[in-house]
Amino acid sequence: MTPKDQCAVLLDLAVELRKYGSWGGETHVQKATYLLQELLGLPTGFNFVLYKHGPFSFDLRELLEQMEAGRLIELEEQPYPYGPKIAEGSAAPRFRASTKTPPLFQQGIAFVSRELGSAGVAELERIATALFVSQDREVAPDERDRKLVQLKPHVQLQEAKEAFARLEEIRNAASLAGLSPCAGTSVELTSSL
Amino acid sequence: MPVEANLLHEIRDAIHTFVRLETCERAVVNSRPYQRLRYIHQLAMTYLVYPGASHSRFEHCLGVMELASRIFDVVTDQRNLHADVRGCIHLPETLEHTYWRRTLRMAALCHDLGHLPFSHAAEDTLPDGCTHEDLSLEIIRSPEMARIWQDLKISAEDIGKLAVGSKHYPKPLTDWETLLSEIIIGDAFGADRMDYLLRDSHHAGVSYGHFEHHRLIDTMRILPQKENGQILPTLGIEQGGLQSAESLLWARYFMYTQLYFHPVRRIYDFHLKQFLREWLPSGKFSVDLGDHLMLTDTEVISAMRLAANDEAAPGHSPARRIMQREHFKRIAEITDADREIDPDAAETLSSQLKGKFGEKAVFTDRYTQKGKGIRFPVLTRDGGIEWSTVLSSTLKRVPTFTVEYVFVDPLHSEQAKLYVREFRTALHAKQGEQQ
Repeated sequence: MTPKDQCAVLLDLAVELRKYGSWGGETHVQKATYLLQELLGLPTGFNFVLYKHGPFSFDLRELLEQMEAGRLIELEEQPYPYGPKIAEGSAAPRFRASTKTPPLFQQGIAFVSRELGSAGVAELERIATALFVSQDREVAPDERDRKLVQLKPHVQLQEAKEAFARLEEIRNAASLAGLSPCAGTSVELTSSL
Repeated sequence: MPVEANLLHEIRDAIHTFVRLETCERAVVNSRPYQRLRYIHQLAMTYLVYPGASHSRFEHCLGVMELASRIFDVVTDQRNLHADVRGCIHLPETLEHTYWRRTLRMAALCHDLGHLPFSHAAEDTLPDGCTHEDLSLEIIRSPEMARIWQDLKISAEDIGKLAVGSKHYPKPLTDWETLLSEIIIGDAFGADRMDYLLRDSHHAGVSYGHFEHHRLIDTMRILPQKENGQILPTLGIEQGGLQSAESLLWARYFMYTQLYFHPVRRIYDFHLKQFLREWLPSGKFSVDLGDHLMLTDTEVISAMRLAANDEAAPGHSPARRIMQREHFKRIAEITDADREIDPDAAETLSSQLKGKFGEKAVFTDRYTQKGKGIRFPVLTRDGGIEWSTVLSSTLKRVPTFTVEYVFVDPLHSEQAKLYVREFRTALHAKQGEQQ
């Protein structure tokens, strides 16, 4: 995936998330991208590690900074401790005219935005961390909720269980929509330019 | 065998006057991996443009250790602790505090052990997916260093976590470890950033990198970032230090524009990479630790000097360009205004020139500054906490520096300048159409 394709995906995601009622900050875009990649199997090309609020990509953060510098996005400052909201920047319309998000990604973006739009940062952290834990083959399925609590001690065991249940719901919805990696075909994205 | 007394040693330093370390810590400085840093230039071949910039990673890492220790002492001082983070911090005069202070110092000292010859300039010449941080971690974990860590009674894994941070350490870090790692390599005001700005500025003979670092460090605090009932200890400052933080972030911007991305410095990096691709076996640096520790700038410079005088030697052409200063010439710099008219202006010009002078005669250099670090919590005078970007009228205005240079072989530079003029005329005509 080229950096331009990545910009197109992040831009669409930021806009779409807010359309579904999301706060639309960096954390929201980070977690939605993580689900797009790891749950729906759409390769965005970002590398995620477990960080302060769950799965996080430093590459994605750098690209958002570059997108801000290129006026593709604008950051709307919010009072502490809330992070800024991401809005479309002045250069976005022109960028969209030359760079299109591939259709399968468009469907994926609409799906995760719909599913995660109403979730706050805490819920997003739990869902994304649940996905992170469920991908660790060294963690037995019946140990997953405890593992999540171990990784994020501020999360209660009951909240961890609910996060795995919600993740399962999203997984099933994706499958019904023909968007899960096993339901669809794997995607190898080339530049859309 | 008599046990060596654990004394305090002082090393004279151009920036911090003295860097202090204990006898037991001196074993790290005396180790083979650390001594190698004497022969790794901090700023690659910047000394070919700014003759004074011949300082090494050796002194930079000592400086980072010194600053990281000062920051740690300030932010963990009981008088400076915010009530809401007290429970997340290992307090002074506890064994944990002593342990983590030493671990932090050694991580700061070792954070650059994995640097390749000529530091960042040659990093593209590592095998895909491998970074200098991976090599730093491997060296910290190596049997060669294990004995030293054992004597210091600290864990190699803990040092590694703090030295490379969450981005490069393969397992999640705790909140405390993340905080300590940010003291060393944080984007906003990590000790690494502070030291390199001050040191590079001093040695290059420019003033752009100066800022009031004493004041900044004295006002640094661990502040609570409360979100969803969770308290996350985060590195911030008192409001009184905001101007010092602003001056650091502006200093970084000026250092990028004036020094780090000086066009001649950039083109020497390009020729260096060309040389390494031809000279290194398989065109890549080895990630074998033994090979890595044997190779420094000294070996590469020596090979370049030989290759520059031997037409049959691998890398002869780029070596000659460096040694005889026959580097490519910058013939165009694409500005924000140009990109406003045509976002792909550099690409367009570059492909036109390649069509005329050949693929190998043209090089386009693109880079956008990373890790701005302008948003951090500030403890206000009334005891509240607010984002720096809300309180500061200048931080949001620090530009993200983007460079796009087009270089050509000096053989064609005069003719190429004519094409650049034509290109600019066409660009302005396009602007007229757009308006």
